Amino acid sequence: MSETNNYRKLNQELEAILGRLQSSNLDIDQTIKEYEKGVMIVDQLEKYLKSARNKVTKITQRQSKPKK
Amino acid sequence: MFGDESLTVSEFIDLVNQTYELAYPIVSVVGELANFKISKNKWIYFDLKDELANLKFFGTVYQLNSPLEDGMLLKVTCNPRMHRTYGFSMQVQQIELVGEGSLKRAAELLQIKLSKEGIFDMDKKRLLPYPPTRVALITSAQSAAYHDFVNIINNRWRGLSVNLIDVQVQGEIAVSQIVKAIDDFNSQPDQYDVLVIIRGGGSPEDLSAFNSEAVTRMVAASNIPTLVAIGHEIDISLAELAADRRASTPSHAAELLVPDKRAVLSSLKVSRQTLNKKLEHTLEVMSYEIHRKSEHLQTLIDHIINQFFQDVLHKKELLFAYDPDNVLQRGYSIVRKQGKVMRSSSYINLNDILDIKLAKGSVTSEVKSVDKG
Repeated sequence: MSETNNYRKLNQELEAILGRLQSSNLDIDQTIKEYEKGVMIVDQLEKYLKSARNKVTKITQRQSKPKK
Repeated sequence: MFGDESLTVSEFIDLVNQTYELAYPIVSVVGELANFKISKNKWIYFDLKDELANLKFFGTVYQLNSPLEDGMLLKVTCNPRMHRTYGFSMQVQQIELVGEGSLKRAAELLQIKLSKEGIFDMDKKRLLPYPPTRVALITSAQSAAYHDFVNIINNRWRGLSVNLIDVQVQGEIAVSQIVKAIDDFNSQPDQYDVLVIIRGGGSPEDLSAFNSEAVTRMVAASNIPTLVAIGHEIDISLAELAADRRASTPSHAAELLVPDKRAVLSSLKVSRQTLNKKLEHTLEVMSYEIHRKSEHLQTLIDHIINQFFQDVLHKKELLFAYDPDNVLQRGYSIVRKQGKVMRSSSYINLNDILDIKLAKGSVTSEVKSVDKG
């Protein structure tokens, strides 16, 4: 699976977790489980985006460097 | 002599003719043309006259070099002859026009005749290759016109091959030599890009070969494109009118034929500078475009990544609202019996052992009383 698809899938999963948390049908254990999973996904998404931003910065710097 | 030895009419005529042949094998007579007639498209009859006398002539149409009209001044080379039936006449050997007026009028008549045939039609004119590489040249090798032409060509351009057929450009045999030269070059039309015929200035008689019907027709019929320059600026011959292009003088013909390499080089230099400038400008415009797009791309990617961050941040905040710790911080606790979360006292009995999780730490307790609610 490509990283893009992975990001999209994680994002969808996070949305599903939020949906389930908002429904109020979960007991506390399920809530904790969903919450933990949600936090982990947020962490992964943030890491992914930070790495994407770094990539863009590197590409931009490479482009601005004068050619020898 | 005429006593007993009388002659028959025929014998006498023969005798007269023998006498003429001996005394006047050939004579040239100049006079004004009168009573000119063509019979059966084969024979010509005319008179030459002066203020006092009139003389009859007889010949064939093949001896005509140009159209004739009564009133023209002619020089006729001929021999006197007594015909057995028609009497005395001069037998024509050659006819020449005399005087500017006659030559001019003959040229006018020929021009009218050839115009009707379309010999001078403008829509038949071909473009000369510019510059040509192989030139067929007809002129007199001794003439100043030839040297001027070659000098100017060599001075203006290089790499031109000029093949000359040396001809007489005036006099009796000029017409036949020029006609043959045009014919010779045209036997290999693929070998030449242009056929040039030149002659310097001269009297109308000197230039008359280029007003002849034969030369004019040959020029018009040439398979090789033609450039003709005869005489000075003011002289316009029929051969020039029949040519694809006319030049006013032989020098002008050379100038028309090839460009001046100095002018071409200078023009190329200007073109190169213009091209360089255009190229630089185009590169500048393109470079600016790329720079602009690059900036746009940068802005766009930053914006997109920020949007993603905002999206994740929003979801993170939403998620944190469901953090169970927040509830415990407010003083609530989680009660579990044998690991199961208790939502109601109806599942709890006396002496049950319950695990209670607090915001900070947890306790294990034993049930002392139960209110089933």
